[in-house]
Amino acid sequence: MNFAATIAKACPGLKLTTEPSVLESHGRDWSDLEGGAPLAVAFPNSGEEVRQLVLAARQTATPLVPSGGRTGLSGGAVSLGGEVVVSFERMRRIGDYDPVDRTVTVEPGAITQSVQQFALEQGLYYPVSFASEGSSHIGGNIATNAGGIRVLRYGLTRDRVAGVKVVTGRGDLLDCNRGLVKNASGYDLRHLFIGSEGTLGLVVEATLRLVDPPPPSRVMLLAVQDMNSVMNVFRRLQSSLALSAFEFLDDRSMFHVRRAYQLPGPLEEDSPWYVITEFDCDGEADEQAALACFESCLERGWVSDGVVSQSERQIAELWRYREGIAESVAPLAPYKNDLSVRISRVPEFLSRLQGLLSEHYPAYDVLRYGHIGDGNIHLNILRPEHVSRQEFKDRCEDISQKCYELTAQLGGSASAEHGIGIIKAPWLGTTRSEAEIEMMRGIKNVFDPDGIMNPGKIFERPG
Amino acid sequence: MKILVGIKRVVDYNVRVRVLPDGSGVDTDGVKMSVNPFDEIALEEALRLREAGKAEEVIVVSAGGDECQQQLRTGLAMGADRAIQVKTDQQLQPLTVANAFLKLVEREGAELVILGKQAIDDDNSQTAPMLAALWGRPQATFASKVVLEDGKASVTREVDAGLETIEVDLPAVISVDLRLNEPRFVKLPDIMKAKRKPLDVVSLDELGVAAAGNLEVSHFEAPKPREKGIMVEDAAQLVAELKNRGLL
Repeated sequence: MNFAATIAKACPGLKLTTEPSVLESHGRDWSDLEGGAPLAVAFPNSGEEVRQLVLAARQTATPLVPSGGRTGLSGGAVSLGGEVVVSFERMRRIGDYDPVDRTVTVEPGAITQSVQQFALEQGLYYPVSFASEGSSHIGGNIATNAGGIRVLRYGLTRDRVAGVKVVTGRGDLLDCNRGLVKNASGYDLRHLFIGSEGTLGLVVEATLRLVDPPPPSRVMLLAVQDMNSVMNVFRRLQSSLALSAFEFLDDRSMFHVRRAYQLPGPLEEDSPWYVITEFDCDGEADEQAALACFESCLERGWVSDGVVSQSERQIAELWRYREGIAESVAPLAPYKNDLSVRISRVPEFLSRLQGLLSEHYPAYDVLRYGHIGDGNIHLNILRPEHVSRQEFKDRCEDISQKCYELTAQLGGSASAEHGIGIIKAPWLGTTRSEAEIEMMRGIKNVFDPDGIMNPGKIFERPG
Repeated sequence: MKILVGIKRVVDYNVRVRVLPDGSGVDTDGVKMSVNPFDEIALEEALRLREAGKAEEVIVVSAGGDECQQQLRTGLAMGADRAIQVKTDQQLQPLTVANAFLKLVEREGAELVILGKQAIDDDNSQTAPMLAALWGRPQATFASKVVLEDGKASVTREVDAGLETIEVDLPAVISVDLRLNEPRFVKLPDIMKAKRKPLDVVSLDELGVAAAGNLEVSHFEAPKPREKGIMVEDAAQLVAELKNRGLL
């Protein structure tokens, strides 16, 4: 019996479609990876239906690709051809909220922004926040251990997950950690699933920890002369202010975001680097502290100018210069890198990266921005008009190779927060040792002995 | 020409307003306070007029307790030349503020007063018209474009039917609408400079203004939460549900 017949028998109500437009839309993500055509797309309504899907997949040796908001940038949700895509669109319930535990239990298809809004309605806060939060699913956030702009204070998705229910590649339903704060009872399997990109099993429910809403804050946008100064400003501000975000962008990022959204320049004069930082500001003392920081940075020549928000609306307006970058260049199909090193090594990393780029690719328009407070740098490389797509791709992979070699030398990571997916699978070895990768494969074999869970992701397909 | 701009300290418009349990007011404890957004637009317009050479001085004024000095400092940092606080600890009503502003207009010899069309906390929208009436000068309300030429202001107003352009003789009162301009960001160096700009304090008594007592707030209550919707199976049920509720 084939997959469709098997699942129809086991789960007669389950929606499975082979509609070409759905196959097309659900077999891809925000990366421009072509991929292949999936066999079908399934829309389960419950954890039990997901379990039946996995069992049917095992029985018929049909690979599965989990599909959330498909906002990923590494091809983790892209079909390689012939898989059944499991879409969580119908499992978006935001369910039990416990005010004592301060947790909410959600289905994997719940949209990140809906969870944030739900938290606000309870007088609490869900701090994982990034540009695609209006589309991305919690299940996908867990699969990639999503980070974003509030990691500096609140950590990653990993730090918010109090429990997960998963269906493994064997078809077992595991209830990991059950929302416990303390649970010293052996291996914490929950953490294996966080960041596993669907290669071990499928999340069917998550219990998320909410936090106190942040106090009133302000946002500063600063003009900074060079990368070393960015780090100096970071250290200075961190010592006097309660920072909840510290981001940087270069002049090219500013150029593209202003062009795309027709934004006025935030300052009178352009600057090679900008810092956008948000800090708690609950009264005059905090304001004075912020001003004192700025003054001392100005005296030392680290910053040349800066503005500070006077209202919540201006907070949003200033964040636009940072949050709008990725979308502003999306129509130009940039080649993306998402690298991280230890925070202390960021200046060295960036200066060597700069040397590398200007030596090999002086004509390329490169945007550099990211979460400097987390040691995370995004590179977006734009294709010059006179360079063909294929040549551009080849050159960028060449750049990537050099970037990853550099990252490896500095003990960094080839994927800070975008996951490995398909795109970065060839480079896994630049961040993980052979022994580590062997262990990882071993773990995969335990949970997914038949290799049906999102094959070709994280680990390259043999041959 | 001197331009007087009124700014009011209000709960930030992005903050979820909570009514105090006893209904005596709204909770402002630990809540972000900002310049009334329409007043920010008024100040931006005044600054642009000064930068275009149409005015020599922009004075920001606010009435209230010492906490409103924070908003006046913001106004100075945005670029106002000086600030005046009309000091009082009483709950202010539009008539009191209009009377106080009139005294300041006379004292300063201002030829133009630019105000927000309304404050987002009480939504009264009264101060500008009251000031114009007390002053005996023309008013141009809900401005979305302001042009000053030859002692006149040509003002485009946002009205129900669309846009209306009127011309008023100066001195006059203009109240501004949302689309007039985009207020600038406040530069950090300018905040430092603003500390050295003059901020005068004058009490209501010194201005000879008595607090009006013609309005009394009985109580506050939160709007009723919207009821949860229901999913209907088909058109027939939809019609039945609408009929049930007397909506059809």
